[in-house]
Amino acid sequence: MSGAVKAGVRLTTGLTGLKVNHNPKHTLGVLYGKLTRALNKLPQDSAYRKHTEAIIKQRSAIVAQGATIEEIEQKINCGVIEEIIIQAENELQLARNFNNWKPWEPLVEKPAPNQWTWPPTK
Amino acid sequence: MVPSFCRNFPRLGQAVKILSGPSIYNGATPRVSWQLVRQMSDKTPHVETRPTVRKPDCYVSAPMLSEFGGYVAECLPKYVQKVQLTSGDELEILIAPEGVIPVLSFLKDHHTAQFVNLVDIAGVDIPSRANRFEVVYNLLSLRYNSRIRVKTYTDELTPIDSANEVFKAANWYEREIWDMYGVFFAGHPDLRRILTDYGFEGHPFRKDFPLTGYVEVRYDDERKRVVCEPLELAQEFRKFDLSTPWEQFPNFKDASSEVPIAKEDAPKEKK
Repeated sequence: MSGAVKAGVRLTTGLTGLKVNHNPKHTLGVLYGKLTRALNKLPQDSAYRKHTEAIIKQRSAIVAQGATIEEIEQKINCGVIEEIIIQAENELQLARNFNNWKPWEPLVEKPAPNQWTWPPTK
Repeated sequence: MVPSFCRNFPRLGQAVKILSGPSIYNGATPRVSWQLVRQMSDKTPHVETRPTVRKPDCYVSAPMLSEFGGYVAECLPKYVQKVQLTSGDELEILIAPEGVIPVLSFLKDHHTAQFVNLVDIAGVDIPSRANRFEVVYNLLSLRYNSRIRVKTYTDELTPIDSANEVFKAANWYEREIWDMYGVFFAGHPDLRRILTDYGFEGHPFRKDFPLTGYVEVRYDDERKRVVCEPLELAQEFRKFDLSTPWEQFPNFKDASSEVPIAKEDAPKEKK
């Protein structure tokens, strides 16, 4: 136990139900690679792809450069590293679903004339 | 336990004294102040200064929210019809009913949104509209300490996609709306009534549902049990004055301001 603390191994994330990932840099690297490939399937000019690619680029640069886990967490500033992994997993699922939903297409349905007026018309 | 209670007790007594010191419930005082407030509000536009009333944050959060609303509309042009700010600093995304699952999962899973909590789903019935029902999703992002409201619409027959696969919390909320308004949620695992009694018929929050209901329940002395019978009113009321004597849409309530959505062609022109 004390040996582990000395070696700088984190024992807990401090969040209930969230287990420590002992090799987070590797996990994140794999996830960001998968995300980039998933985003590459979306059209070049879709806003979602551009914005998400910028976020992924920034985060993967921080992960690659950061020496310690604490440094990475502080620079990304979005929770502990395990939470950052969860965020990447969610984004990956979303990017894959977007390939089916195609939300960059033009509006599917225009609202009825008085749909969003308030107070409502008589 | 006991000593600490004794220590706190004198302080409690002081607090009570301070509270009851000035005569708050002194008959005439409230009426006079109420009249004063009314006179003042008639002359000048009323600016809220009471510290106990929440004032919208129009300087910090409203610009950020409208920027985020534009971002959502830019990422999902297929579904977002309108983005608006209500009550100064409440962001509303108005979407087409086809986009319930894509929009909700975008708001849940995207890095810069992370609205992972579904606080409530509400229904609204406005019979004068072609699509009379509105379904309103209230989301909360603990990460960014922010709330967002997603609105969509449907009519009596068109089903809406169930949000249950995105948020497990949607299960009971959608049952509530099915029960109260009769909006059908396609893909819901267990769409039953949730609030009304066994054997209840109709959807009580619809505007055309009578205030009295259709059946009455009473204890029958002869049969020694509770019986449920079709409603019989002693006098048949034929003339209703349905307009209330109170103001329905008060003037002080600000209209919501629309956030302009960037044109779909704009990014293509850049390229």
